[in-house]
Amino acid sequence: MSRKGLAAGGREVADFQEQYASWQRKAEQASGRIPERKATFATSSGIPVDRLYVPDEQTADATQYVHQLGFPGEFPFARGTQPTMYRSRYWTMRQYAGFGSAEETNRRFHYLLEQGQTGLSTAFDLPTQIGYDSDHPFAKGEVGKVGVAISSLEDMERLLANIPLDKVSTSMTINAPASVLLAMYIVVAEKQGVTADKLSGTIQNDILKEYVARGTYIFPPRPSMRLITDIFAYCSTSVPNWNTISISGYHIREAGSTAVQEVAFTLANAKAYVDAAIAARLDVDVFAPRLSFFFNAHNNLFEEVAKFRAARRIWARIMKEHYGAKQPKSWQLRFHTQTGGSTLTAQQPDNNIVRVTLQALSAVLGGTQSLHTNSRDEALALPTEESARIALRTQQIIAHESGVADTIDPLGGSYYVEALTDQIEQEVGEYLAQIDGLGGAVVAVEQGYMQREIQKSAYQTQMAIETGEQIVVGVNAFKLEHEPRPELLRIDSSLERIQSERLAHLRNTRNSKAVQEALEALRNAARGSENLMPHIIQSVRVYATLGEICGVLREEFGEYQPSVW
Amino acid sequence: MANQTIRVLVAKPGLDGHDRGALVVAQGLRDAGMEVIYTGLRQTPEQIASIAIQEDVDCVGLSSLSGAHMQLFPEIVSQLRNAGANDVLVIGGGVVPQDDIPYLLEKGIDAVFTPGTPISEIAAYIRTHIQRRGYMHAGINKTEADSDSAAETIRQLTEDTLEEPSNMPQELLQNLRIVPEQLDHIGIAVRSLHESLHLYQEQLGMEVIHEETVSDQNVHILFLKIKETVIELLEPTDKASPIAKFMEKRGPGLHHLAFKVNDIRQALGYAKAAGYQLIDETPRKGAHHKWVAFLHPKHTGGVLTEFCQPMEDE
Repeated sequence: MSRKGLAAGGREVADFQEQYASWQRKAEQASGRIPERKATFATSSGIPVDRLYVPDEQTADATQYVHQLGFPGEFPFARGTQPTMYRSRYWTMRQYAGFGSAEETNRRFHYLLEQGQTGLSTAFDLPTQIGYDSDHPFAKGEVGKVGVAISSLEDMERLLANIPLDKVSTSMTINAPASVLLAMYIVVAEKQGVTADKLSGTIQNDILKEYVARGTYIFPPRPSMRLITDIFAYCSTSVPNWNTISISGYHIREAGSTAVQEVAFTLANAKAYVDAAIAARLDVDVFAPRLSFFFNAHNNLFEEVAKFRAARRIWARIMKEHYGAKQPKSWQLRFHTQTGGSTLTAQQPDNNIVRVTLQALSAVLGGTQSLHTNSRDEALALPTEESARIALRTQQIIAHESGVADTIDPLGGSYYVEALTDQIEQEVGEYLAQIDGLGGAVVAVEQGYMQREIQKSAYQTQMAIETGEQIVVGVNAFKLEHEPRPELLRIDSSLERIQSERLAHLRNTRNSKAVQEALEALRNAARGSENLMPHIIQSVRVYATLGEICGVLREEFGEYQPSVW
Repeated sequence: MANQTIRVLVAKPGLDGHDRGALVVAQGLRDAGMEVIYTGLRQTPEQIASIAIQEDVDCVGLSSLSGAHMQLFPEIVSQLRNAGANDVLVIGGGVVPQDDIPYLLEKGIDAVFTPGTPISEIAAYIRTHIQRRGYMHAGINKTEADSDSAAETIRQLTEDTLEEPSNMPQELLQNLRIVPEQLDHIGIAVRSLHESLHLYQEQLGMEVIHEETVSDQNVHILFLKIKETVIELLEPTDKASPIAKFMEKRGPGLHHLAFKVNDIRQALGYAKAAGYQLIDETPRKGAHHKWVAFLHPKHTGGVLTEFCQPMEDE
């Protein structure tokens, strides 16, 4: 930090002292409400560990500290979103799971909850993600493969059987048909006697990154944006504790971006959602606190830590200074982290446990709110139960044995980490200006700008690996002559037939008149400007299928056609 | 194919949206000098086969990370074959477990490249295998099943149209490449096998793997091997032996290089078409249970060049 602030006089020191005192009061209050995990924290040698370490106010540049870092839970949130962070409660350990049938996934859910997992995270199969029922011709070969197959409310009832929806928070990685899956969740809760205002969880619902990086889109960008703002509006009154979107850099990074691009493109997309919501006349301080983010963690430990800290600071400034949000909660960037799937190697899969550990550590040091650790065998297939357990244990060891969660933002003030944080903030700012110049993220996506930038980085990485400039242990160095073959999870392919039979049975036994009416009402709403959520919920309730609901919207909105590379 | 750009279709079958690998490979193959077409996401097997045929590609590269490869990849091969595209090389990649690979190969996928494969390796594979199939572009259709008829066609071409290589269409000439599997052995003419063993066996530690007398050539032969390298020592048993004549002119020393080929008749056809002079117009039985044939050293830089092909077990 420079010495300018001190030279400027005592005012800044006063600010520092005032804010420090204010944070201390808040931290005390917070730990009064929810006690910290331990009465006292100490290293293994018995050295006491403070809640937070700050520069000496006499020697530190107090202006810089207040401006660049601030205190945990205080603008600009470089040091975390909560005043006590993991001293009171660890991040949510939220392992992403889902495969095969709803029953099988339900069993895995119960297993993970018994193993100490604290939130659910659902992976859906590709037909579900793209709005096709399991018996659609395009679903051939894909049913239940990369996630659970959900075609109707019936499947959702099986998925959530005996899981108390008022006690567990559920994240659903679903984007194009997010409104339909959320509707199913709401109706299942209703049937459990849990009202929507008691529900907590997240739908990913980030369509822009689907066009940029992941490919599970259905509709063109503009109607997709409408579906998203309809969800914001509906949830703000009816499902107030729901995270209505998880704006995802994860897939951008997996598609090959750099850490800087990951933050830049995610925040550019986030701005587009805020703009759309404001254009739909929603109050920024009503919907902004429900925005959540989703980032990746790769191997370069310090850069990853700096990335998370920078992202929080940039977003706080955007929300406060650009959008004029008034509520501190609107300035906070809360995020889930998943370790980097694309960093895992099919060669020597046990090495992946070590990679995941480093990545998970970066997320914890960066102050994540929830974390998924990948399983060692994911470069080969879906994780086996054993692999999934080791992945969860990795988080538990970091939490309970490493001591890194005992003080807030332990790397704050590191010359290196602060310099990286500043540098990432600056480079992200340059990208954001560039995208603003193009007309914002929707235009940038339509023009393929982000796609090209990511593709460039992906190719550079590949070349660096092929030339040996970048070492990947077990792949281009330290190879084994004979790779043992690990045990892999197999998905039963009879599921496709079972799902088809169930759907046929459902279509024959439900009240088809009610289905027709609900779908017709949805069609009319799609043609106008009415909020679509109530119509989707009604359709789900009378057992219209996912494919039927998305089918109506496909007919009304059209389908997205990417410009081919 | 050296003067003709290889055309590759990179395709994403099924609903999987992970196209980083497909895009990076596509870019890498372009940089390797190939013409690459990318289908974009969510293509059905029918669509992929139809694009491959319309675009007249040499190779289709399939990418899938969703686990649907077991259904989709074979489906694409059969669509291609049904449409008569027997000569298109089909390769696959993505999250494909090792255990699935034998099934895919059996279903007609030519090769599967799992994560971590350098693009240079994929490019080299495509280049070699397209070259091997190069003659197909000369209008000769070949599948595993009809290799006999292909050989027959080559023989006819050799006999009828290819008598004078200069009359060959340029395109056809360019397309013909032998591409042996490997160097089979190095032949060395010696005055005495027994004396030579001192160097090769005792000093160099090579292992004797085969000994034989080929009576119609009047030659006694010894094969020695170290790792992948095989040396054939040839000792004349009679003054009328070609080896004896060779040594009269040049003394003992390097006699020939032998290349192992898949189809020796085809190799001879190509060599002849390309203007090399054949010593053997048709293969003959050589030592060590192989078909052999020689090219005249006049056009091979002074090195007697042999093609050999192991005989099928009877």
